[in-house]
Amino acid sequence: MRHAAHFLRLVALLVVAVVGFLFVRSKLVPQDFGVKGHFRLSAIADEAAREPRHIGSDACAECHDEIGNAWKAGKHRTPQCENCHGPGLMHTKVVAEESTTAYPDRILKIRLAIRRPTGIVECKWCHLRTFERPSTLKSIANVADHINSHTGTFTKDSKCIDCHNPHTTVVTVNAKGVPVPPKIGP
Amino acid sequence: MTTPRSPDDVSRREFLGTVAKTGGQSFLFGSLFVNTALLRLPQDVATAKAKQETEIGKGVIYGFVVDTTKCIGCGSCARACRAENNVPDGYNRTWIEQYTFYPNGEVVVNSPVGGEAGFAEPPTRNMPAELEKVQPVRGFFVPKLCNHCIDTPCIQVCPVGASFKTDEGVVLVDKERCVGCGYCVQACPFGSRYLNPDTNVADKCTWCYHRVTKGLLPACVQSCPAEARIFGNVSDPASKISHILATNRVQVLKSYLGTRPRTRYIGLDSEVI
Amino acid sequence: MHHYITEGYVLPNQAHIYWTTMIVLYPYITGIVAGAFIISSMHHVFDKDELKPVSRFAMVMAFAFLLFATLPLLNHLGHPERALNIMFTPNLTSAMAGFGFIYSTYLFILAVEIWLVYRTDIVHLYEHTKWPAMKAVYYVLALGVLDISKEAEEVDHKVMVVLASIGIPAACGLHGYVGFIFGAIKANPWWASPLMPVIFLLSAIVSGVAMVMICYIVIQWLNGREVDGECTHALIETAWYFLIIDVALELLELINHAYMANEDWTILKTLVTTKLFVSMFIIQILLGSVVPFFAMGAVVVFKKRIPAAARNLIGVLCGVLLLAQVGAMRWNVVMGGQMFSKSLRGFLNFEIDIGGREGLIAGIVIFALPFVVIFVFSRLLPLWGSVETFPKEWMKEKPPVRQPLKGWSKFTS
Repeated sequence: MRHAAHFLRLVALLVVAVVGFLFVRSKLVPQDFGVKGHFRLSAIADEAAREPRHIGSDACAECHDEIGNAWKAGKHRTPQCENCHGPGLMHTKVVAEESTTAYPDRILKIRLAIRRPTGIVECKWCHLRTFERPSTLKSIANVADHINSHTGTFTKDSKCIDCHNPHTTVVTVNAKGVPVPPKIGP
Repeated sequence: MTTPRSPDDVSRREFLGTVAKTGGQSFLFGSLFVNTALLRLPQDVATAKAKQETEIGKGVIYGFVVDTTKCIGCGSCARACRAENNVPDGYNRTWIEQYTFYPNGEVVVNSPVGGEAGFAEPPTRNMPAELEKVQPVRGFFVPKLCNHCIDTPCIQVCPVGASFKTDEGVVLVDKERCVGCGYCVQACPFGSRYLNPDTNVADKCTWCYHRVTKGLLPACVQSCPAEARIFGNVSDPASKISHILATNRVQVLKSYLGTRPRTRYIGLDSEVI
Repeated sequence: MHHYITEGYVLPNQAHIYWTTMIVLYPYITGIVAGAFIISSMHHVFDKDELKPVSRFAMVMAFAFLLFATLPLLNHLGHPERALNIMFTPNLTSAMAGFGFIYSTYLFILAVEIWLVYRTDIVHLYEHTKWPAMKAVYYVLALGVLDISKEAEEVDHKVMVVLASIGIPAACGLHGYVGFIFGAIKANPWWASPLMPVIFLLSAIVSGVAMVMICYIVIQWLNGREVDGECTHALIETAWYFLIIDVALELLELINHAYMANEDWTILKTLVTTKLFVSMFIIQILLGSVVPFFAMGAVVVFKKRIPAAARNLIGVLCGVLLLAQVGAMRWNVVMGGQMFSKSLRGFLNFEIDIGGREGLIAGIVIFALPFVVIFVFSRLLPLWGSVETFPKEWMKEKPPVRQPLKGWSKFTS
């Protein structure tokens, strides 16, 4: 061993490196890693802790009971409120928060916290005809032709909800048989 | 497509408990050093079996069924998913594919923006010009999402243990430990994973783990107006999904790869890859 | 990550290419490491004396490239600051998890081997350098042990042979493992193949030999020194042998895909005949394999009947072609596997970035760094195993003159 001093130093360096690595590792690996499989156990709780953004139609109907009841009783009960209106979490939060904002501004704020459907784009998601769609689904080939072939005249401002109530699908007609704009809003 | 193996029936579960759960997915070092199932004595197997059987009653195991015959291609699921999970633009945790068959045998598949903007209006079709005037003979929609495989290639390849499976069978990503190497993205045969450009970590469908653990449905299932998506506890014989699985012939995607997906399909076509 | 123009149906999450330039560069760099190391081991372990003139340089080159093998990976990671997770919590079922350990083991072996090769020189230079600062540097490099007695040298030699013997399988392991990373991905029909590790390893050796060959001949030219004929011949011969096996397996892989014609062949056929046509058939096979096969074959067959100048020229030109071959092969595997979607119905048009974090310029800079290290090394220690190339101005006196490095000649016997 007289002529192997340099190897001893090398081995010492290696030992220092390995021990240093193990020390750093023990400090940096989370305590709950590997408790139940090769992962950080609290990652499950982290994922579960996220706040759901879609509140569900029942939650919407708690305040908007009139629309909710009409929706539940109508033919359009399978699409959920949030399909067209977007997730309701922010809306409920704004409603629930303590606020000193005065009346018109506060309503505006609450309204801005939820998506306001255009009344035509959302309808076309389901009701424009494509070959792959089941024939049992009511669909139209083209909005302009649909309106023109009925009682109206298609303009660029024409909307489905000018005639159809999106919550119930009901079309109300006046004495002459011409559809009248349905009452939709809250 | 062959008839898929059902991962949730009891005999399958015994197999699961003894082999797959202890490392059926493991390879490389795993099969040499970790897969102790291969080294077990018969009494150990019996113990494992007994342990597994006691877990059947109390354990929740989630399952997902996509009934492609009901899908109308409205895109509500994909929109809801994006809003619920803050999915960045250009990526999808779930998407809808539109299959159109033409008389000459040509199959055209589309999924514009994952189907979020609907399918009816242009520009949706990515197809040869000569087919535009031809009347198709057949068509359907296929929603897709993470299959939450039992033998996941994505968890297998994650070098740092940032991908994992919960007791309920949900495959999740630990955003705090993921290094963003992208190996899982490459390893997923279904294109379910992506690297999130906002967080720089791997991201994927979680079956809305944050919702289902609170008793809610996944956002896509809740928003589906056609009941094309069914989610539930497959270990509960009384659940709706158990009923559907008991009364339907189901298939899985790319069954030949042996990943044993927990997301199962009704009405798949051989053209659906 | 960019949104690329797609053709046909591409799965939404696959409209992006997740592995780009950096992941092409990484196997390219480790390949040069493996190849250069094999060259130096052929001298140190297998006593192939013709390679003596390049054996030290090849070892230093392997070390310099190995130092930067992780850089493309770190540059690619979404969270490079978490890179050590791969060693803190390695997932034993992942092929990738072995990287940290295989890499550091190999780096250690290589560093110790170089250290042993140079230990005598380090001590000599410590004793003869003029400047105190450099003296300190050499003292640290010698780990403070100045024993270069005959006995110590004998111990060094024994350990070195043992290490080199471990180093060869380690080098093969490091690079075969890189091939396994791709070959074991069942989700990708273009990658999934048990041949992948073997192809990666063989092309690695080809690229390493080519790089050593180019550097050797060009540096000798630049310094106005004579190029050792036997050494060049041995390098060309080695490159030629490995090229033949490498290309045979690469073609086997492709032919196998075509002959089996699984469901994925439809898209793979379109892939190789359109997207990869130039990089595969023109660069990888025609220019990178066929041309060097004949040119280097001529050198191998005609031996000393080839004039030295022609041999050297063929060495450099074929070296460049071989580097292009291997580069194209890496590109075709890594990028080719991502240019089609797992829907098996669509393609992506990949366009290489010039700037940016993972762009071409970043790649060139990373690829240039090992040469900077080699240059710095050449200022510290004699790169060519000979004092002629060493800066004499640092020395108090001329270091002891050693035997000129000449390989055993099979030409003059």
